[in-house]
Amino acid sequence: MELLNNIPPAFLLIIGAIALLALPANARKVGAIALAALGFFAITQLSEGTRGNPEFLGHTLEMLRVDSTSKAFGYIFTISAFGAFIFSWSERCRLQNTAALVYIGSALGVVFAGDMITWYLFWEMMAVSSTFLVLARNTEASRLAAQRYILVHLAGGLVLLAGILMAVNSTGSIAFTLENIHQNSTAKWLILIGILINAAAVPFSSWLPDAYPESTVFGGIVLSAYTTKTAVYTLVRGFPGEEILIPIGCVMTLYGIVYALLENDMRRILAYSIVNQIGFMVCGVGVGTPLAIAGVVAHAFCHIIYKALLWMSIGAVLHRTGKSKCTELGGLYKSMPITTMMTIIGALSISAVPLTCGFISKTLITAATEQQHHLWAWFALEVASAGVFVYACIPFYTFFNVDRGLRPKEAPRAMITGMALMAFLCIYLGLNPGHLYGILPHGEVLAEKASFYYTYIKSFDKVVTVLQMLLFSALMFFILLPLLKRTSTISIDFDWFYRKGAKLFYDAMDKTFNSLNKAAERLVIKTLLPAIAQFVIVAPATLTVMLLRPVWRESLDADEKSLKKREKELIARFSSGTFPVAYSAIFVLIFIGLLVLLGRAAG
Amino acid sequence: MATKKKATQKKAPANEATAKATPAQDNPHLSPRFWKTMWILCGTTVLLELFVHRHPHFVIEKGEPATLPDMSDSVLATMSNWFGFYGVYGLLACVGSVLLAKGLSVFLKAGEDYYDGTP
Repeated sequence: MELLNNIPPAFLLIIGAIALLALPANARKVGAIALAALGFFAITQLSEGTRGNPEFLGHTLEMLRVDSTSKAFGYIFTISAFGAFIFSWSERCRLQNTAALVYIGSALGVVFAGDMITWYLFWEMMAVSSTFLVLARNTEASRLAAQRYILVHLAGGLVLLAGILMAVNSTGSIAFTLENIHQNSTAKWLILIGILINAAAVPFSSWLPDAYPESTVFGGIVLSAYTTKTAVYTLVRGFPGEEILIPIGCVMTLYGIVYALLENDMRRILAYSIVNQIGFMVCGVGVGTPLAIAGVVAHAFCHIIYKALLWMSIGAVLHRTGKSKCTELGGLYKSMPITTMMTIIGALSISAVPLTCGFISKTLITAATEQQHHLWAWFALEVASAGVFVYACIPFYTFFNVDRGLRPKEAPRAMITGMALMAFLCIYLGLNPGHLYGILPHGEVLAEKASFYYTYIKSFDKVVTVLQMLLFSALMFFILLPLLKRTSTISIDFDWFYRKGAKLFYDAMDKTFNSLNKAAERLVIKTLLPAIAQFVIVAPATLTVMLLRPVWRESLDADEKSLKKREKELIARFSSGTFPVAYSAIFVLIFIGLLVLLGRAAG
Repeated sequence: MATKKKATQKKAPANEATAKATPAQDNPHLSPRFWKTMWILCGTTVLLELFVHRHPHFVIEKGEPATLPDMSDSVLATMSNWFGFYGVYGLLACVGSVLLAKGLSVFLKAGEDYYDGTP
């Protein structure tokens, strides 16, 4: 136990991932599940404080900073890994197994990092390892999506690195603390932008709905949990109360809803719902009070659970039918009744219906905005809370709506087990808010709220108002359903700028510089250079002729005709560069004479 | 309440089963029973609101720091405490998002081959 208390959980998973490579398939799969469980157990054993201080590049690293915030994220990261590994028993190949373990391990590395070097190294490891989860789908579309994904993350990583270097330079300390980050304002902004790119904040959001839906079934579940939530964690550490985050968060929540209404691909709708939910967390960090921060951590915790559940159930449908589009799915409730139930539980949780985990976490964030009298933020978050009902379209379009004659088998047993675990947690936490509130940072502000009695009986007015809002929103949603016909289209997002935009830029550059090049060629190569060449030959020849003509005339008494002939001969010699010895000797003499004169003049 | 709501959602397919014979269209007919349940549930929440004491929003209570902005003049803050505010607001939020999405779809929807040939 003492040993586990001193090993960063990241190492357990990353070293384990490499060790598992040598094992046969089934042992590898069991090993991954066991590693997730071991990781969870190891985190329960961590006592608070900072440890793990190897020397690196003349700095002392801090690989284990344990407090309630890092432990809460550690718990949910390992729980969700455990569920995802069980779910993907039949689907997970060697590449995905290793990539996922390294990815999850690196996410744990970021969460327990107490210094900025450790943070940055694990941050980049996450970007690289997660790319393989997109690549593992093994299609042309996933290859291109992975390419864009890694480019965005490397760019974001560089911005973060620049910020970290400036912060370290101006403070002389690598500690990952609020004071260090805020010392230098340029460093602060660079770090914030670097984090916001990973948090999929608008306008850096499009990488998420671009890449995640192209990943494998297992990849989608794993990806949905870690990159954005580690970004939220770093925001909680570095930017609580940063006011700019409030409008950014509000825009994210609304953006997630509008795009979910436009999209046709189920997995893309889920990707937009991640942006919507991260918006709540970003806004909460911006409010920054103890209640808001506790709410952010609680919401990250619950969000990972129900989002994993939704990615699992849509993944199970994709696994069985090979389809994930609204226009291709429908009427599956009879063939896949258990998956239907699980998806409905996930959709109710994301809508924050009372008795689900979404209700006990999201309400903390809205309550915090209200408590601080952030009027506009509160109104925006309430719109998002009501509009979040659009995610009810996920079970609706998949399992009900129109029967398209699909009759797949129910999801495999392993998948159902994984989904059941997550669905159980959704309801269990919804009924027992105290169990979640007990592990949160600033738990003291929630001490009073941490019971079923307070949440549902004493605050019954809240239950009624939340239900009223959701039900009226749902009613409108069904009334307006004919307006919302799904079409076989994609939605243009900010990635337009680096997909179409890049091509336009390339074409514009191509036209500008290549036509410039052509013009330059015409002018310089074809006209100017031959003219110079001609001039170099003709000028000395003409000069010599002008000098020699009187000499010839006087000394040889030649007539015009023979003079012309001599001139011609001389010019021919200049252009071919062949002279009799006498001429060469005269030129050498003139040349030496010139040198002497120049030497005199200079001396 | 939540379990009741779940039940309504599950009721939706009852009518779809009958629509099986017709070719697939994206115009689902929700059954009258579904609509009835929906209206009853909405009505119930409004009725329940009559009997609960709602905690007022944006009011500076005793013991709260005086640094918070005073909202007593704000129309929006006052409105948020009106009876039935949540129902109306939920309704407007949904209509607003749908109309916004509908409007934006003119600019933002593109064919599935839109990005073909780009990196």
